[in-house]
Amino acid sequence: MNIDYTALAEVWTHPDPPAPAEEMGFFTDTTVCIGCKACEVACKQWNQLPSDGFRWSGHSYDNTSALSATTWRHVAFVEQMEPESGRPPRWLMMSDVCKHCVQAPCQEACPTGSLIYNEFGNVYVQQDVCNGCGYCVAACPFGVIARDPEDGRAHKCTLCYDRQKDGLTPACAKSCPTASIQFGPLSVLRQTARDRVQQLHDRGDKDAYLYGADASGEYSALNAFFLLKDHPNVYNLPEAPRRPAAHLRTNYLFSFGASIALTLASAFLLRKDR
Amino acid sequence: MTESALPATSGNAGYYGLPMLRAPVWGWHVAWYFLLEGISAGACILSTVAQLAGDERDAAIVRTGRFVAAAALLPCPALLVADLGRPERFHHMLREFKPSSPMNTGAWALTAYSAPVGMLALKEWTGGRRASALVSRTARLVPATPLAVAALPCALTMISYPGVLLSTTSTPMWARTRLLGALVACSSMSTGAAAISFVVAARTPAADRTLGRLQRIEHVATGAEALALAGYLLSAGKTAEPLTCGRYCRLFWGGAVAVGLVAATVGRVLSKRNGRHSRPATMWSAACTIAGAWALKWALVHGGRSSAEDPTAAQYATQPQLSTPGWRPPA
Repeated sequence: MNIDYTALAEVWTHPDPPAPAEEMGFFTDTTVCIGCKACEVACKQWNQLPSDGFRWSGHSYDNTSALSATTWRHVAFVEQMEPESGRPPRWLMMSDVCKHCVQAPCQEACPTGSLIYNEFGNVYVQQDVCNGCGYCVAACPFGVIARDPEDGRAHKCTLCYDRQKDGLTPACAKSCPTASIQFGPLSVLRQTARDRVQQLHDRGDKDAYLYGADASGEYSALNAFFLLKDHPNVYNLPEAPRRPAAHLRTNYLFSFGASIALTLASAFLLRKDR
Repeated sequence: MTESALPATSGNAGYYGLPMLRAPVWGWHVAWYFLLEGISAGACILSTVAQLAGDERDAAIVRTGRFVAAAALLPCPALLVADLGRPERFHHMLREFKPSSPMNTGAWALTAYSAPVGMLALKEWTGGRRASALVSRTARLVPATPLAVAALPCALTMISYPGVLLSTTSTPMWARTRLLGALVACSSMSTGAAAISFVVAARTPAADRTLGRLQRIEHVATGAEALALAGYLLSAGKTAEPLTCGRYCRLFWGGAVAVGLVAATVGRVLSKRNGRHSRPATMWSAACTIAGAWALKWALVHGGRSSAEDPTAAQYATQPQLSTPGWRPPA
């Protein structure tokens, strides 16, 4: 077996990061999504992601079901057609993606430093560093990042880091025919999104709101945020995600408290004069 | 599921009952690692405490503790490496020092812990047999007390971090509590004491004083573990359902509680008669403690998967609260 010792040592080197650029992100306006899944296809094509097989889920037009290590855009189809509720029927569609949290639990959990924020403020997995420990998978409150059983590493949306480096729009936003997926500088996107919510409210669409445009308590804002029309759980999103590392100190306090107390109790029980 | 001709609706129950979270990828390696590193670090702590606080009659605890600590530690690195998706990159764990990641802290603690524990066991081993002059002279140069003292903070970290590691996730069963770290730490201390008791009872014919002293520690550690477990179940509430009434309830109630806490305590009480300790009964109750800790750690690690895959648990765990109001439609 040929071991590349230079590569082994390079793991400990930390080259200078690129200069910070303007923070970029996604604004996904679900009110104009038509469920065409062009984003799913464009993402798979550009990122050369393998097929997930073919399977009828029985859940409306959604045969993708969830984001995964090889699916970085997923269009959810919510059919609300209950005549007994008295509401007019509606069909909600939403193109889900990695939220690129401003303070990301996966990045905080990653023990190797593989998960970083790149110069565009996006959460990125350095594939040459990831050793597939799986901690980010358990840390993510949105069930986004996943470990690929084929190659053993964690994968998720890169926000088309490679395309951004060349000044291109990410593949999903580029292919979206209705501008449901909008890509741009976050300062601009947030304003666009607020204007859009106002426009919808003025039209009488009072249930429109932004999911993740601003921080919520201990949870940071999301650099890929959404305009939704119903409760987050309807789209399989958490209503109030927690930041796991926010409780790290308290957890350690109780844990070390118990360990030290038991150690002192043992010292008392093992003292000389007994 | 659909009785009407209308398509299935997701409604307020979530999205077709699909999981909101991704199940943790950890399996049997991690459950066994948590058991063995707990035995190792618990035994190491007791051995150091016996050396510092006790007298020369506690030498059996010190010596056995050092052997148990090293023996239980031996398979640990292999278990962790085998659990990685890319085992050949295990050394990437030590690429950075990153306190926000308990797994990183644990990797550093394991590295720092293994050196003194290995050296102390080697010293005990060469001291107890006719080794070559060079080996025994080198072993005599190893300073036991400073090494034991240096191992103590590492060992405390080793029993304290696993529960915190599980808690610092979004898995409802692990994250909705402050006491998982304390529970795992108490369980590790009781298994460390039980492992020393087992070896002392198995190898030493007249060790009533040593067994009695160890038994008191085991009683205290088991009591603390029971308290931490009760606190965990109360604080985790509904999210602990995989343990209390779900897939792992038989392992949890039957193994962790009935065998690990009740049977082990009863066995210890019954093992003492007229001031003498029955060696088979001591070994039996120590084995119960260790089997119970295995059941607890297995159920905790694997129950996390059931918990993450249950969308109602995930919804319950992410209800708005004062510190996190969340995002929802306007009222």
